[in-house]
Amino acid sequence: MPDKDSCATNPRTGDVIVEAQGLTKVFANGVKALDDFSLTVCQGEVVVVIGPSGSGKSTFLRCLNGLEEIDAGRIVIDGVELNHSKKNRRAIRTEVGMVFQSFNLFPHMTVLGNINLAQELVRGKTRGDATDTTMALLDKVGMAERADSYPAQLSGGQQQRVAIARALAMHPKVMLFDEATSALDPEVIGEVLGVMADLAREGMTMIVVTHEMGFAREAGDRVVFMEHGAMVEQGPVEPFFDAPAHERTQTFLQQIV
Amino acid sequence: MRARINTLAHVAAFMTVLGGLGWLLMRGSDSLNYPWHWERIPDFIYTWDEQGFTPGPLLEGLWVTIKISAVSLLLAFVFGLVTALLRLSDSFVGRFLARVYLETIRNTPLLTQILVMYFLFAPLLGLDAVTSGVLALSLFEGAYGSEIIRAGIVSIDKGQWEAAHSLGLSTSQTYRKIVLPQALRRVLPPLASLAVTLVKDSALVSAIAVAELSKQGAIIVARYWLTFETWFTVAALYLCLTIPLSLLALMLERRIKVRS
Ligand SMILES: Nc1ncnc2c1ncn2[C@@H]1O[C@H](COP(=O)(O)OP(=O)(O)OP(=O)(O)O)[C@@H](O)[C@H]1O
Ligand SMILES: [Mg+2]
Repeated sequence: MPDKDSCATNPRTGDVIVEAQGLTKVFANGVKALDDFSLTVCQGEVVVVIGPSGSGKSTFLRCLNGLEEIDAGRIVIDGVELNHSKKNRRAIRTEVGMVFQSFNLFPHMTVLGNINLAQELVRGKTRGDATDTTMALLDKVGMAERADSYPAQLSGGQQQRVAIARALAMHPKVMLFDEATSALDPEVIGEVLGVMADLAREGMTMIVVTHEMGFAREAGDRVVFMEHGAMVEQGPVEPFFDAPAHERTQTFLQQIV
Repeated sequence: MRARINTLAHVAAFMTVLGGLGWLLMRGSDSLNYPWHWERIPDFIYTWDEQGFTPGPLLEGLWVTIKISAVSLLLAFVFGLVTALLRLSDSFVGRFLARVYLETIRNTPLLTQILVMYFLFAPLLGLDAVTSGVLALSLFEGAYGSEIIRAGIVSIDKGQWEAAHSLGLSTSQTYRKIVLPQALRRVLPPLASLAVTLVKDSALVSAIAVAELSKQGAIIVARYWLTFETWFTVAALYLCLTIPLSLLALMLERRIKVRS
Protein backbone atom coordinates (compact mmCIF):
# COMPACT_ATOMS: atom_id res chain seq x y z
CA MET A 1 0.00 0.00 0.00
CA PRO A 2 1.53 3.34 -0.97
CA ASP A 3 2.47 5.72 1.79
CA LYS A 4 4.62 8.83 1.91
CA ASP A 5 7.74 6.81 1.22
CA SER A 6 6.45 4.79 -1.69
CA CYS A 7 5.03 7.95 -3.31
CA ALA A 8 8.48 9.49 -3.18
CA THR A 9 10.32 6.41 -4.39
CA ASN A 10 7.99 5.73 -7.33
CA PRO A 11 9.56 7.45 -10.36
CA ARG A 12 6.11 7.92 -11.94
CA THR A 13 4.71 9.96 -9.08
CA GLY A 14 5.36 12.85 -6.70
CA ASP A 15 4.43 13.41 -3.08
CA VAL A 16 1.26 12.32 -1.39
CA ILE A 17 -1.62 14.49 -2.54
CA VAL A 18 -4.75 12.74 -1.30
CA GLU A 19 -4.86 11.08 2.04
CA ALA A 20 -8.08 9.43 3.16
CA GLN A 21 -7.94 7.61 6.47
CA GLY A 22 -10.58 5.47 8.10
CA LEU A 23 -13.49 7.06 6.24
CA THR A 24 -16.88 6.03 7.52
CA LYS A 25 -20.14 7.31 6.14
CA VAL A 26 -23.53 6.26 7.40
CA PHE A 27 -26.53 7.75 5.60
CA ALA A 28 -29.64 8.90 7.43
CA ASN A 29 -31.41 5.71 6.38
CA GLY A 30 -28.79 3.64 8.19
CA VAL A 31 -26.87 2.49 5.10
CA LYS A 32 -23.17 2.30 5.83
CA ALA A 33 -21.74 3.41 2.49
CA LEU A 34 -18.14 3.69 3.67
CA ASP A 35 -16.71 1.47 6.36
CA ASP A 36 -13.26 2.41 7.58
CA PHE A 37 -12.01 3.05 4.06
CA SER A 38 -8.49 4.37 3.55
CA LEU A 39 -6.64 5.39 0.41
CA THR A 40 -3.49 7.37 -0.27
CA VAL A 41 -2.90 8.82 -3.72
CA CYS A 42 0.37 10.24 -4.99
CA GLN A 43 0.76 13.25 -7.22
CA GLY A 44 0.41 12.29 -10.86
CA GLU A 45 -1.04 8.91 -10.06
CA VAL A 46 -4.12 7.51 -11.79
CA VAL A 47 -6.14 5.34 -9.43
CA VAL A 48 -9.01 3.35 -10.86
CA VAL A 49 -11.73 2.41 -8.37
CA ILE A 50 -13.94 -0.54 -9.22
CA GLY A 51 -16.53 -2.52 -7.32
CA PRO A 52 -20.12 -3.75 -7.51
CA SER A 53 -23.07 -1.37 -7.49
CA GLY A 54 -23.66 0.11 -4.05
CA SER A 55 -20.14 -0.61 -2.84
CA GLY A 56 -19.57 3.08 -1.99
CA LYS A 57 -17.46 4.25 -4.94
CA SER A 58 -19.49 7.37 -5.58
CA THR A 59 -19.80 8.09 -1.89
CA PHE A 60 -16.03 7.96 -1.57
CA LEU A 61 -15.52 10.49 -4.37
CA ARG A 62 -18.26 12.72 -3.03
CA CYS A 63 -16.68 12.72 0.42
CA LEU A 64 -13.34 13.71 -1.07
CA ASN A 65 -14.66 17.05 -2.26
CA GLY A 66 -17.07 17.60 0.58
CA LEU A 67 -20.32 16.87 -1.23
CA GLU A 68 -21.00 14.36 1.54
CA GLU A 69 -19.86 14.77 5.12
CA ILE A 70 -17.94 11.90 6.65
CA ASP A 71 -18.95 10.51 10.03
CA ALA A 72 -15.47 9.38 10.96
CA GLY A 73 -12.00 9.51 9.47
CA ARG A 74 -9.77 12.15 8.00
CA ILE A 75 -9.33 13.61 4.53
CA VAL A 76 -6.24 15.64 3.65
CA ILE A 77 -5.83 17.12 0.18
CA ASP A 78 -2.44 18.59 -0.63
CA GLY A 79 -1.74 19.21 3.03
CA VAL A 80 -5.13 20.81 3.81
CA GLU A 81 -7.47 18.83 6.01
CA LEU A 82 -11.13 18.88 5.05
CA ASN A 83 -13.08 20.03 8.09
CA HIS A 84 -16.48 21.41 8.92
CA SER A 85 -15.77 25.03 8.10
CA LYS A 86 -17.49 26.25 4.95
CA LYS A 87 -14.47 28.23 3.86
CA ASN A 88 -12.24 25.19 4.09
CA ARG A 89 -14.70 23.10 2.10
CA ARG A 90 -14.84 25.67 -0.64
CA ALA A 91 -11.05 25.86 -0.72
CA ILE A 92 -10.79 22.10 -1.12
CA ARG A 93 -13.56 21.93 -3.70
CA THR A 94 -11.74 24.52 -5.73
CA GLU A 95 -8.65 22.31 -5.78
CA VAL A 96 -10.54 19.12 -6.58
CA GLY A 97 -12.24 18.81 -9.95
CA MET A 98 -15.19 16.49 -10.36
CA VAL A 99 -16.79 14.99 -13.45
CA PHE A 100 -20.24 13.47 -13.04
CA GLN A 101 -22.00 10.66 -14.82
CA SER A 102 -24.80 13.06 -15.80
CA PHE A 103 -22.47 15.88 -16.98
CA ASN A 104 -24.39 18.52 -15.00
CA LEU A 105 -23.61 21.36 -17.34
CA PHE A 106 -25.52 24.58 -16.62
CA PRO A 107 -28.25 24.52 -19.28
CA HIS A 108 -28.90 28.27 -19.29
CA MET A 109 -25.32 29.12 -20.17
CA THR A 110 -23.28 28.58 -23.29
CA VAL A 111 -20.27 26.29 -23.27
CA LEU A 112 -18.07 29.35 -22.85
CA GLY A 113 -20.24 30.63 -20.00
CA ASN A 114 -20.14 27.27 -18.26
CA ILE A 115 -16.37 27.19 -18.26
CA ASN A 116 -15.77 30.89 -17.56
CA LEU A 117 -18.15 31.08 -14.61
CA ALA A 118 -16.08 29.66 -11.77
CA GLN A 119 -12.85 31.12 -13.12
CA GLU A 120 -14.33 34.57 -12.76
CA LEU A 121 -16.41 33.97 -9.64
CA VAL A 122 -14.06 31.81 -7.62
CA ARG A 123 -10.62 32.51 -9.06
CA GLY A 124 -11.36 36.19 -9.63
CA LYS A 125 -10.10 36.20 -13.21
CA THR A 126 -11.15 38.85 -15.69
CA ARG A 127 -13.53 37.83 -18.46
CA GLY A 128 -10.68 38.05 -20.98
CA ASP A 129 -8.27 35.87 -19.00
CA ALA A 130 -10.98 33.33 -18.30
CA THR A 131 -11.93 33.19 -21.96
CA ASP A 132 -8.31 32.59 -22.96
CA THR A 133 -8.09 29.63 -20.59
CA THR A 134 -11.47 28.36 -21.71
CA MET A 135 -10.63 28.47 -25.40
CA ALA A 136 -7.33 26.68 -24.84
CA LEU A 137 -9.11 23.94 -22.89
CA LEU A 138 -11.90 23.63 -25.45
CA ASP A 139 -9.26 23.22 -28.08
CA LYS A 140 -7.69 20.46 -26.04
CA VAL A 141 -10.95 18.53 -25.69
CA GLY A 142 -11.81 19.15 -29.34
CA MET A 143 -14.76 21.46 -28.70
CA ALA A 144 -13.38 24.87 -29.71
CA GLU A 145 -15.97 25.30 -32.46
CA ARG A 146 -18.84 24.85 -30.03
CA ALA A 147 -17.96 27.59 -27.53
CA ASP A 148 -21.21 29.43 -28.22
CA SER A 149 -23.48 26.40 -28.18
CA TYR A 150 -25.86 25.61 -25.36
CA PRO A 151 -25.55 22.23 -23.65
CA ALA A 152 -28.86 21.02 -25.07
CA GLN A 153 -27.41 21.41 -28.57
CA LEU A 154 -24.55 19.00 -27.84
CA SER A 155 -24.32 15.22 -27.83
CA GLY A 156 -23.63 13.42 -24.57
CA GLY A 157 -20.00 12.87 -25.45
CA GLN A 158 -19.57 16.53 -26.32
CA GLN A 159 -21.26 17.63 -23.11
CA GLN A 160 -18.99 15.42 -21.06
CA ARG A 161 -15.89 16.78 -22.78
CA VAL A 162 -17.10 20.30 -21.95
CA ALA A 163 -17.70 19.21 -18.35
CA ILE A 164 -14.12 17.95 -18.18
CA ALA A 165 -12.84 21.25 -19.57
CA ARG A 166 -14.96 23.11 -17.02
CA ALA A 167 -13.37 21.20 -14.15
CA LEU A 168 -9.88 21.62 -15.60
CA ALA A 169 -10.34 25.38 -15.87
CA MET A 170 -9.91 25.65 -12.11
CA HIS A 171 -6.46 24.04 -12.45
CA PRO A 172 -7.37 21.36 -9.93
CA LYS A 173 -4.74 19.33 -8.15
CA VAL A 174 -6.87 16.21 -8.35
CA MET A 175 -9.59 15.17 -10.79
CA LEU A 176 -12.39 12.82 -9.73
CA PHE A 177 -14.36 10.95 -12.38
CA ASP A 178 -17.56 9.21 -11.31
CA GLU A 179 -18.55 6.86 -14.13
CA ALA A 180 -17.95 9.63 -16.62
CA THR A 181 -18.87 7.43 -19.58
CA SER A 182 -21.72 5.36 -18.15
CA ALA A 183 -24.46 7.61 -19.51
CA LEU A 184 -22.98 7.75 -23.01
CA ASP A 185 -23.86 5.95 -26.21
CA PRO A 186 -21.20 3.34 -27.00
CA GLU A 187 -19.97 5.16 -30.09
CA VAL A 188 -19.01 8.30 -28.15
CA ILE A 189 -17.47 6.66 -25.09
CA GLY A 190 -14.13 6.54 -26.88
CA GLU A 191 -13.85 10.30 -27.39
CA VAL A 192 -14.31 10.94 -23.67
CA LEU A 193 -11.96 8.17 -22.60
CA GLY A 194 -9.43 9.59 -25.06
CA VAL A 195 -9.53 12.96 -23.33
CA MET A 196 -9.14 11.26 -19.96
CA ALA A 197 -6.18 9.21 -21.16
CA ASP A 198 -4.52 12.38 -22.48
CA LEU A 199 -4.92 13.96 -19.08
CA ALA A 200 -3.42 10.95 -17.39
CA ARG A 201 -0.44 11.08 -19.72
CA GLU A 202 0.10 14.74 -18.90
CA GLY A 203 0.52 13.83 -15.26
CA MET A 204 -2.87 14.82 -13.81
CA THR A 205 -3.66 13.12 -10.53
CA MET A 206 -6.88 11.22 -11.12
CA ILE A 207 -9.25 9.01 -9.17
CA VAL A 208 -11.48 7.28 -11.68
CA VAL A 209 -14.56 5.20 -10.95
CA THR A 210 -15.28 3.28 -14.14
CA HIS A 211 -16.40 0.02 -15.67
CA GLU A 212 -14.07 0.52 -18.63
CA MET A 213 -11.35 -2.03 -17.94
CA GLY A 214 -9.57 -1.16 -21.19
CA PHE A 215 -9.11 2.38 -19.94
CA ALA A 216 -7.95 1.10 -16.54
CA ARG A 217 -5.28 -1.02 -18.16
CA GLU A 218 -4.14 1.64 -20.57
CA ALA A 219 -4.17 4.75 -18.38
CA GLY A 220 -4.31 3.49 -14.80
CA ASP A 221 -1.42 3.11 -12.40
CA ARG A 222 -3.27 1.35 -9.65
CA VAL A 223 -6.62 -0.39 -9.20
CA VAL A 224 -8.69 -0.39 -6.04
CA PHE A 225 -11.46 -2.92 -5.56
CA MET A 226 -14.21 -1.92 -3.12
CA GLU A 227 -17.08 -3.85 -1.60
CA HIS A 228 -19.55 -2.91 1.14
CA GLY A 229 -17.76 0.40 1.65
CA ALA A 230 -14.42 -1.21 2.36
CA MET A 231 -11.31 -1.95 0.36
CA VAL A 232 -10.99 -5.57 -0.64
CA GLU A 233 -7.77 -5.36 -2.60
CA GLN A 234 -5.57 -2.92 -4.44
CA GLY A 235 -2.45 -3.06 -6.55
CA PRO A 236 -0.66 -1.96 -9.73
CA VAL A 237 -2.81 -2.45 -12.82
CA GLU A 238 -1.11 -5.40 -14.55
CA PRO A 239 -0.79 -7.76 -11.61
CA PHE A 240 -4.20 -6.74 -10.34
CA PHE A 241 -5.98 -7.77 -13.53
CA ASP A 242 -3.76 -10.73 -14.37
CA ALA A 243 -3.57 -12.27 -10.95
CA PRO A 244 -6.01 -10.84 -8.43
CA ALA A 245 -5.26 -12.15 -4.98
CA HIS A 246 -8.73 -12.08 -3.53
CA GLU A 247 -11.46 -14.49 -4.47
CA ARG A 248 -14.13 -11.75 -4.49
CA THR A 249 -12.01 -9.75 -6.92
CA GLN A 250 -11.67 -12.73 -9.22
CA THR A 251 -15.42 -13.29 -9.28
CA PHE A 252 -16.10 -9.61 -9.90
CA LEU A 253 -13.59 -9.37 -12.74
CA GLN A 254 -15.02 -12.47 -14.38
CA GLN A 255 -18.50 -10.97 -14.21
CA ILE A 256 -17.64 -7.72 -15.92
CA VAL A 257 -15.32 -9.00 -18.62
CA MET B 1 -56.55 24.03 -40.41
CA ARG B 2 -58.09 21.82 -37.79
CA ALA B 3 -56.78 24.14 -35.09
CA ARG B 4 -58.41 27.10 -36.84
CA ILE B 5 -61.81 25.39 -37.01
CA ASN B 6 -61.43 24.55 -33.36
CA THR B 7 -60.70 28.16 -32.50
CA LEU B 8 -63.70 29.32 -34.54
CA ALA B 9 -65.91 26.87 -32.72
CA HIS B 10 -64.66 28.19 -29.40
CA VAL B 11 -65.25 31.77 -30.41
CA ALA B 12 -68.78 30.91 -31.56
CA ALA B 13 -69.51 29.15 -28.28
CA PHE B 14 -68.16 32.11 -26.35
CA MET B 15 -70.32 34.54 -28.32
CA THR B 16 -73.42 32.44 -27.76
CA VAL B 17 -72.84 32.35 -24.03
CA LEU B 18 -72.15 36.07 -23.97
CA GLY B 19 -75.29 36.78 -26.00
CA GLY B 20 -77.35 34.59 -23.70
CA LEU B 21 -76.04 36.39 -20.66
CA GLY B 22 -76.77 39.77 -22.24
CA TRP B 23 -80.31 38.70 -23.00
CA LEU B 24 -80.83 37.52 -19.43
CA LEU B 25 -79.53 40.83 -18.15
CA MET B 26 -81.83 42.81 -20.39
CA ARG B 27 -84.79 40.82 -19.20
CA GLY B 28 -83.66 41.27 -15.63
CA SER B 29 -83.31 45.01 -15.95
CA ASP B 30 -86.61 45.22 -17.86
CA SER B 31 -88.43 43.57 -15.05
CA LEU B 32 -86.65 45.89 -12.63
CA ASN B 33 -87.61 48.78 -14.81
CA TYR B 34 -83.99 49.89 -14.67
CA PRO B 35 -83.41 53.27 -16.28
CA TRP B 36 -80.25 52.84 -18.35
CA HIS B 37 -78.08 55.91 -18.74
CA TRP B 38 -75.01 54.72 -20.57
CA GLU B 39 -74.62 58.17 -22.10
CA ARG B 40 -73.42 59.55 -18.76
CA ILE B 41 -70.61 57.05 -18.36
CA PRO B 42 -67.99 58.52 -20.78
CA ASP B 43 -67.72 61.64 -18.64
CA PHE B 44 -66.61 59.51 -15.73
CA ILE B 45 -63.86 58.08 -17.87
CA TYR B 46 -62.52 61.24 -19.43
CA THR B 47 -63.59 64.60 -20.81
CA TRP B 48 -62.24 66.32 -23.87
CA ASP B 49 -63.02 70.01 -24.16
CA GLU B 50 -61.30 73.37 -24.66
CA GLN B 51 -59.15 72.65 -21.59
CA GLY B 52 -57.93 69.57 -23.36
CA PHE B 53 -57.93 66.02 -22.04
CA THR B 54 -59.07 65.54 -18.44
CA PRO B 55 -59.16 62.03 -17.00
CA GLY B 56 -62.36 61.28 -15.17
CA PRO B 57 -62.56 59.52 -11.80
CA LEU B 58 -62.61 56.06 -13.37
CA LEU B 59 -59.46 56.63 -15.38
CA GLU B 60 -57.79 58.17 -12.35
CA GLY B 61 -58.85 55.16 -10.31
CA LEU B 62 -57.48 52.86 -12.98
CA TRP B 63 -54.17 54.67 -12.84
CA VAL B 64 -54.03 54.31 -9.03
CA THR B 65 -54.87 50.61 -9.40
CA ILE B 66 -52.05 50.21 -11.90
CA LYS B 67 -49.57 51.96 -9.62
CA ILE B 68 -50.63 50.04 -6.52
CA SER B 69 -50.49 46.75 -8.41
CA ALA B 70 -47.11 47.43 -9.97
CA VAL B 71 -45.43 48.40 -6.71
CA SER B 72 -47.13 45.55 -4.83
CA LEU B 73 -46.05 43.10 -7.49
CA LEU B 74 -42.44 44.15 -7.15
CA LEU B 75 -42.57 44.03 -3.35
CA ALA B 76 -44.46 40.73 -3.40
CA PHE B 77 -41.70 39.27 -5.54
CA VAL B 78 -39.08 40.40 -3.03
CA PHE B 79 -41.08 39.04 -0.07
CA GLY B 80 -41.71 35.82 -1.96
CA LEU B 81 -38.09 35.32 -2.92
CA VAL B 82 -36.74 36.07 0.55
CA THR B 83 -39.33 33.81 2.18
CA ALA B 84 -38.61 30.97 -0.23
CA LEU B 85 -34.88 31.25 0.46
CA LEU B 86 -35.47 31.38 4.22
CA ARG B 87 -37.67 28.30 4.08
CA LEU B 88 -34.92 26.43 2.27
CA SER B 89 -32.10 27.76 4.44
CA ASP B 90 -30.15 25.91 7.10
CA SER B 91 -31.12 28.46 9.71
CA PHE B 92 -33.78 27.22 12.10
CA VAL B 93 -34.81 30.75 13.03
CA GLY B 94 -35.10 31.72 9.38
CA ARG B 95 -37.26 28.72 8.57
CA PHE B 96 -39.42 29.34 11.63
CA LEU B 97 -40.01 33.01 10.81
CA ALA B 98 -40.88 32.19 7.21
CA ARG B 99 -43.31 29.58 8.40
CA VAL B 100 -45.05 31.91 10.86
CA TYR B 101 -45.41 34.56 8.15
CA LEU B 102 -46.81 32.08 5.65
CA GLU B 103 -49.32 30.50 7.99
CA THR B 104 -50.53 33.83 9.31
CA ILE B 105 -51.08 35.24 5.85
CA ARG B 106 -52.64 32.17 4.36
CA ASN B 107 -55.05 31.55 7.19
CA THR B 108 -56.58 35.00 7.53
CA PRO B 109 -58.67 36.96 5.01
CA LEU B 110 -56.91 39.62 2.97
CA LEU B 111 -59.53 42.21 3.95
CA THR B 112 -58.73 41.63 7.62
CA GLN B 113 -55.04 41.99 6.90
CA ILE B 114 -55.61 45.28 5.11
CA LEU B 115 -57.71 46.61 7.98
CA VAL B 116 -55.22 45.46 10.62
CA MET B 117 -52.41 47.03 8.67
CA TYR B 118 -54.25 50.31 8.33
CA PHE B 119 -55.80 50.67 11.75
CA LEU B 120 -53.13 48.97 13.85
CA PHE B 121 -49.73 49.20 12.21
CA ALA B 122 -50.10 52.31 10.06
CA PRO B 123 -50.45 54.70 13.03
CA LEU B 124 -47.50 53.03 14.76
CA LEU B 125 -45.28 53.24 11.69
CA GLY B 126 -46.71 56.48 10.39
CA LEU B 127 -47.94 55.03 7.09
CA ASP B 128 -50.62 56.55 4.90
CA ALA B 129 -53.51 54.61 3.43
CA VAL B 130 -51.88 53.87 0.09
CA THR B 131 -48.68 52.61 1.67
CA SER B 132 -50.54 50.39 4.14
CA GLY B 133 -52.63 49.06 1.29
CA VAL B 134 -49.60 48.31 -0.84
CA LEU B 135 -47.81 46.70 2.08
CA ALA B 136 -50.77 44.49 3.02
CA LEU B 137 -51.30 43.50 -0.58
CA SER B 138 -47.67 42.63 -1.21
CA LEU B 139 -47.31 40.70 2.03
CA PHE B 140 -50.39 38.71 1.04
CA GLU B 141 -49.36 37.91 -2.53
CA GLY B 142 -45.73 37.46 -1.44
CA ALA B 143 -46.77 34.53 0.74
CA TYR B 144 -48.30 32.78 -2.26
CA GLY B 145 -45.41 33.86 -4.47
CA SER B 146 -42.94 32.27 -2.08
CA GLU B 147 -44.60 28.90 -2.46
CA ILE B 148 -44.37 29.18 -6.23
CA ILE B 149 -40.73 30.24 -6.13
CA ARG B 150 -39.87 27.54 -3.63
CA ALA B 151 -41.40 24.91 -5.89
CA GLY B 152 -39.29 26.26 -8.74
CA ILE B 153 -36.10 26.10 -6.68
CA VAL B 154 -36.62 22.55 -5.48
CA SER B 155 -37.44 21.45 -9.03
CA ILE B 156 -33.86 22.19 -10.09
CA ASP B 157 -31.81 19.03 -10.40
CA LYS B 158 -29.51 18.27 -7.48
CA GLY B 159 -26.70 17.79 -9.99
CA GLN B 160 -26.71 21.53 -10.68
CA TRP B 161 -25.91 22.23 -7.03
CA GLU B 162 -23.25 19.58 -6.96
CA ALA B 163 -21.57 20.79 -10.13
CA ALA B 164 -21.56 24.37 -8.82
CA HIS B 165 -20.26 23.34 -5.42
CA SER B 166 -17.59 21.13 -6.92
CA LEU B 167 -16.33 24.18 -8.81
CA GLY B 168 -15.99 26.05 -5.52
CA LEU B 169 -19.06 28.28 -5.85
CA SER B 170 -20.65 29.32 -2.56
CA THR B 171 -24.31 28.74 -1.80
CA SER B 172 -25.24 32.33 -2.59
CA GLN B 173 -23.25 32.29 -5.82
CA THR B 174 -24.95 29.07 -6.80
CA TYR B 175 -28.37 30.58 -6.11
CA ARG B 176 -27.61 33.73 -8.04
CA LYS B 177 -25.91 32.26 -11.08
CA ILE B 178 -27.23 28.74 -11.41
CA VAL B 179 -30.40 27.95 -9.49
CA LEU B 180 -32.51 31.13 -9.51
CA PRO B 181 -32.08 31.92 -13.22
CA GLN B 182 -33.38 28.46 -14.06
CA ALA B 183 -36.01 28.25 -11.31
CA LEU B 184 -37.54 31.67 -11.99
CA ARG B 185 -37.76 30.97 -15.69
CA ARG B 186 -39.67 27.84 -14.84
CA VAL B 187 -42.18 29.56 -12.54
CA LEU B 188 -42.78 32.64 -14.68
CA PRO B 189 -46.23 31.42 -15.84
CA PRO B 190 -47.64 30.86 -12.32
CA LEU B 191 -46.07 34.14 -11.21
CA ALA B 192 -47.86 35.91 -14.06
CA SER B 193 -51.11 34.29 -12.92
CA LEU B 194 -50.39 35.56 -9.42
CA ALA B 195 -50.06 39.06 -10.90
CA VAL B 196 -53.61 38.72 -12.27
CA THR B 197 -54.84 37.75 -8.80
CA LEU B 198 -53.01 40.70 -7.34
CA VAL B 199 -54.69 43.18 -9.68
CA LYS B 200 -58.09 41.80 -8.70
CA ASP B 201 -57.28 41.71 -4.99
CA SER B 202 -56.15 45.33 -5.14
CA ALA B 203 -59.86 46.24 -5.20
CA LEU B 204 -59.97 45.40 -1.52
CA VAL B 205 -57.82 48.36 -0.53
CA SER B 206 -60.86 50.50 -1.34
CA ALA B 207 -61.90 49.47 2.15
CA ILE B 208 -59.36 51.89 3.57
CA ALA B 209 -60.42 54.75 1.31
CA VAL B 210 -57.68 54.46 -1.28
CA ALA B 211 -59.08 56.06 -4.41
CA GLU B 212 -58.41 53.19 -6.75
CA LEU B 213 -60.72 51.92 -9.46
CA SER B 214 -63.28 50.13 -7.28
CA LYS B 215 -63.45 52.99 -4.81
CA GLN B 216 -64.10 55.47 -7.60
CA GLY B 217 -66.78 53.17 -8.91
CA ALA B 218 -68.41 53.01 -5.49
CA ILE B 219 -68.36 56.79 -5.19
CA ILE B 220 -70.05 57.25 -8.56
CA VAL B 221 -72.71 54.70 -7.71
CA ALA B 222 -73.39 56.32 -4.35
CA ARG B 223 -73.72 59.74 -5.92
CA TYR B 224 -75.43 59.14 -9.25
CA TRP B 225 -77.19 55.78 -8.92
CA LEU B 226 -75.71 54.47 -12.15
CA THR B 227 -75.20 51.08 -10.54
CA PHE B 228 -75.14 48.73 -13.52
CA GLU B 229 -73.41 51.04 -15.97
CA THR B 230 -70.66 51.91 -13.51
CA TRP B 231 -69.87 48.42 -12.33
CA PHE B 232 -69.90 47.07 -15.88
CA THR B 233 -67.46 49.78 -16.87
CA VAL B 234 -65.28 49.11 -13.84
CA ALA B 235 -65.24 45.40 -14.68
CA ALA B 236 -64.28 46.17 -18.27
CA LEU B 237 -61.42 48.36 -17.08
CA TYR B 238 -60.14 45.56 -14.82
CA LEU B 239 -60.32 43.21 -17.79
CA CYS B 240 -58.12 45.63 -19.74
CA LEU B 241 -55.44 44.97 -17.13
CA THR B 242 -55.95 41.30 -16.41
CA ILE B 243 -56.50 39.92 -19.91
CA PRO B 244 -53.08 40.99 -21.19
CA LEU B 245 -51.51 39.56 -18.04
CA SER B 246 -53.39 36.28 -18.46
CA LEU B 247 -52.33 36.11 -22.08
CA LEU B 248 -48.76 36.74 -21.02
CA ALA B 249 -48.97 33.88 -18.54
CA LEU B 250 -50.40 31.61 -21.22
CA MET B 251 -47.73 32.59 -23.72
CA LEU B 252 -44.94 32.03 -21.22
CA GLU B 253 -46.33 28.64 -20.36
CA ARG B 254 -46.47 27.65 -24.03
CA ARG B 255 -42.95 28.84 -24.66
CA ILE B 256 -41.54 26.96 -21.70
CA LYS B 257 -43.39 23.80 -22.71
CA VAL B 258 -41.96 23.96 -26.21
CA ARG B 259 -38.44 24.45 -24.87
CA SER B 260 -38.38 21.50 -22.50
N1 LIG C 1 -27.99 10.08 -0.33
C1 LIG C 1 -28.08 8.79 0.07
N2 LIG C 1 -28.95 8.46 1.03
C2 LIG C 1 -29.04 7.18 1.45
N3 LIG C 1 -28.32 6.16 0.99
C3 LIG C 1 -27.43 6.43 0.02
C4 LIG C 1 -27.28 7.76 -0.49
N4 LIG C 1 -26.32 7.73 -1.45
C5 LIG C 1 -25.90 6.45 -1.53
N5 LIG C 1 -26.56 5.67 -0.66
C6 LIG C 1 -26.34 4.23 -0.43
O1 LIG C 1 -24.98 4.05 -0.10
C7 LIG C 1 -24.48 2.88 -0.71
C8 LIG C 1 -23.29 3.24 -1.56
O2 LIG C 1 -23.72 4.01 -2.64
P1 LIG C 1 -22.75 4.54 -3.78
O3 LIG C 1 -23.58 5.40 -4.67
O4 LIG C 1 -21.56 5.15 -3.16
O5 LIG C 1 -22.35 3.21 -4.52
P2 LIG C 1 -21.57 3.01 -5.88
O6 LIG C 1 -20.46 2.09 -5.59
O7 LIG C 1 -21.23 4.32 -6.48
O8 LIG C 1 -22.64 2.28 -6.76
P3 LIG C 1 -22.93 2.39 -8.33
O9 LIG C 1 -21.92 1.53 -9.02
O10 LIG C 1 -24.31 1.85 -8.48
O11 LIG C 1 -22.83 3.83 -8.69
C9 LIG C 1 -25.62 2.28 -1.49
O12 LIG C 1 -26.21 1.27 -0.71
C10 LIG C 1 -26.58 3.42 -1.67
O13 LIG C 1 -27.89 2.96 -1.74
MG1 LIG D 1 -21.84 5.39 -8.20
